[in-house]
Amino acid sequence: MKMKVGLFDFAGCEGCQLTVMNLEDQLLQVLQHIELVEFRELMTETAEQIDIAFVEGSICRPGDRQRLKQIRQRSKVLVALGSCADNGGVNALGSDRTPEVLRQQVYANDLPHLYTETPQPLSAVVKVDYRVPGCPIDGQEFLAILQALLLQQQPELPAFAVCVECKLAEYPCSFDYGQVCLGPVTRAGCRAICIDGGGHCRGCRGLIDNPRTSPYHRILEQHGLTVEEILDQYRTFNVSEKAP
Amino acid sequence: MLSDFSLKFQAEEQPERPLWRAIQSTEILHFVRSLLLAYDVIGVQKKRGRLVLDSLQDAADLVLEFPPAVHSPKKFLFPHWDQLFRFKLDENILLEAETAAPPRIIFGMHPCDLHAVKILDDCLFEGETDSSYRAKREATLLIGVDCTPDEFCFCTSLGTDRIAEGFDLFLHKRDGHYLIQTGSERGRKLLQDHAPETYDGPEESPLPLQVKQCDNKIKFPFESLPNLLEDAYDDKIWQELGHRCLGCGSCTLLCPTCYCFNVQDKLEISMQEGQRIRTWDSCQFDQFAQVANGNNFRSSQADRQRHRFFRKYKYLWEKHQRTACVGCGRCRRECLSEIEPVTVLNQMFADSPQPAETRPGSEYQPQMAQIIDVEQLSEKDRLFRLRLPQSIDFTPGSFMQISVFGLGEAPFSIASAPDGGNEIELMVRKAGTLTQALHRSRKGDSIGLRGPFGSGYPLASMHGKDLLLVAGGRGLLAIRSLLQAALADRHNFGRITLLCGARDIEALVFPEDLLDWHRSELLDCRIAVKDPDNSWGIPSLDISYLFKDLDIDPQRTIAAVSGPPEMYRQVNPLLFRMGLAEENLYLNLERHMKCGLGKCGKCQINNIYVCECGPIFPYSAIKHLGEAIER
Repeated sequence: MKMKVGLFDFAGCEGCQLTVMNLEDQLLQVLQHIELVEFRELMTETAEQIDIAFVEGSICRPGDRQRLKQIRQRSKVLVALGSCADNGGVNALGSDRTPEVLRQQVYANDLPHLYTETPQPLSAVVKVDYRVPGCPIDGQEFLAILQALLLQQQPELPAFAVCVECKLAEYPCSFDYGQVCLGPVTRAGCRAICIDGGGHCRGCRGLIDNPRTSPYHRILEQHGLTVEEILDQYRTFNVSEKAP
Repeated sequence: MLSDFSLKFQAEEQPERPLWRAIQSTEILHFVRSLLLAYDVIGVQKKRGRLVLDSLQDAADLVLEFPPAVHSPKKFLFPHWDQLFRFKLDENILLEAETAAPPRIIFGMHPCDLHAVKILDDCLFEGETDSSYRAKREATLLIGVDCTPDEFCFCTSLGTDRIAEGFDLFLHKRDGHYLIQTGSERGRKLLQDHAPETYDGPEESPLPLQVKQCDNKIKFPFESLPNLLEDAYDDKIWQELGHRCLGCGSCTLLCPTCYCFNVQDKLEISMQEGQRIRTWDSCQFDQFAQVANGNNFRSSQADRQRHRFFRKYKYLWEKHQRTACVGCGRCRRECLSEIEPVTVLNQMFADSPQPAETRPGSEYQPQMAQIIDVEQLSEKDRLFRLRLPQSIDFTPGSFMQISVFGLGEAPFSIASAPDGGNEIELMVRKAGTLTQALHRSRKGDSIGLRGPFGSGYPLASMHGKDLLLVAGGRGLLAIRSLLQAALADRHNFGRITLLCGARDIEALVFPEDLLDWHRSELLDCRIAVKDPDNSWGIPSLDISYLFKDLDIDPQRTIAAVSGPPEMYRQVNPLLFRMGLAEENLYLNLERHMKCGLGKCGKCQINNIYVCECGPIFPYSAIKHLGEAIER
């Protein structure tokens, strides 16, 4: 019996679902081991019972909570897919003001169909069993987590920081370029793709389990940065999370 | 320990005499072009604006003058992602061994990185040879090149700035050209086949060993590192480093000699086959020393930093007699917290209690101890009670060097038990000029002392056991120290039996003590004297007769036998016949321990220095040594 797998989405850019679709040939190979029962971007069918539900997006519109609870009820295992689902993601950026103020500031009009609450991660509503972090997710990590679940193993995320992946790939350190980087406290698994692209780490994959806060703050000070400056960076993806 | 393989590398492949040839840059270009036809040539090149070590596509891209910041060649000899084997999950699980490594040349390695390969060889060929490393090592030729140290390099402090062997070829930079030196038969052949014009060129005169200059220096001889760390296990510096360290692991990943790894299975998407791979791990990571129930045996970052330093400068030194650090500075160069080994070691040294150790010859200088009591034990034997300037810690069986200035120095077993104080007892038998001079010393005089030296009886591991102590002649000295320690802590031991033998009554040391012990309820003390005219009225017997009606439980007995070798030849078989295990028999193998520092060689038994590893040894540890007790 193949495992029944569904993908679901809430508020988000759908980039994580696209990352799954972009797996193309690999996705076709995976289909030999799973039965894809629900995936709005690919198919119209729906399912009553799901073994593994991957849920993208954050919870903010009226009705989202109810729909998420129903998905949870139908699913044996529920996995948060990407930053928005995992910790609110960029959607939660405006959470320092009320939705009404935000709506006025962005649209300058009261548009009822845009009514939202402050975006929240899935875990604010239902029990989340596992997570695929990142904005967007890493396709290969998604496959590895799916594979672990098919084998009924505990999926494991790297416990070390992004610095490891920079060193392995021999990327120069962002701090050497005077850039704020969240790499030393952010969970690896992205292969330091932003640093490879000439950028710096904004912490989209969330903190490692044991971030070394005080040495990190000392390093920021040495580079002429305040904690507030790094918090600005950190909040891009982690508004609802405790700061490093 | 050298495996057959490394022996092959070092002995068979060493050419009779290095060749020295001049080679111009254009010749190097042709040489590399020719090599590219037959080998995967790894060299430093510019990629996306950065200098990296990678597979060369075009010989013209090779950079020979590159800074020490370029990452080490470890990634080609011991890669981060190394397939150990492939498996197929058919009905029968099918394993496929890793195929052989491609023939490869690393063209351009700084001396420190060549030294680092020696350390990897030490570690990975030791015991069970790591065949995956071996395959790559055998298929890879190493070509060294000169370097210019930067402000983070400290190779000159470790002697790794220069190299005489361990490469196949080495390029020395001269004005406008290079001198190429062969370091192996493989290297000579490579030059002959791929740069024949250079090979056939005129002989150049060899350069002396090329020494570099570094401003970053360890301020003490690096040979003191293991001892420095030995005393620094609980140093506050580890807590300081623990507070500074991010735990990111960059130091170990960049280290050219760190090779600790993890082993994992990676299934293909088909889930029908996969590979078992190993990946670099780091002792700096949270889970490195964590076990299944969640316990972490190095739970703080301070523990992990200490482990890193101890492994680099102490643990591997003790195994392979070289530091596992080559002073390349990579760990510091990319450490955001700027943890700098040289600063750490220098600070530790500055904080260490013995600054005197830096003075040349200071380890040979005795300190003065006061004689606080002299007891005449017999006509020839005197017991000196000495007070040292500070408390003295030793295990029973250790020894001191007594100095009489003008006459020299001689080793004496400590005859008293360690009690945490600053007094010890040494027994001196009048024999030569030095001991005669000592006998003339009076209470209140000062004499020179060095020590304690050596490793004695492991008291704590004897707790709860029966002790069978067998002493012959002056062998009673070490036994007295052990017995006094056991009697001071009597409830921690089972039955205690002392068998003491001597040639004649005069040869019995501590006669008063023996009589006391004989009368004591705390132990069973039996004495045998060979000489029939003994005045004590004890039967004239050989010590082996004391074993006749001896009743011991071999499972719970530890035997300490201390005396001349002929006694061991006689007594050991008796003990083994009683069922005593070899590791429960301790022998005292005192030799002429002149320096006490594991250097002079006078006390050496085969490959073991008695003054360092003994004089007390478990029989199981020395039975293979031909010089230990055999005639």
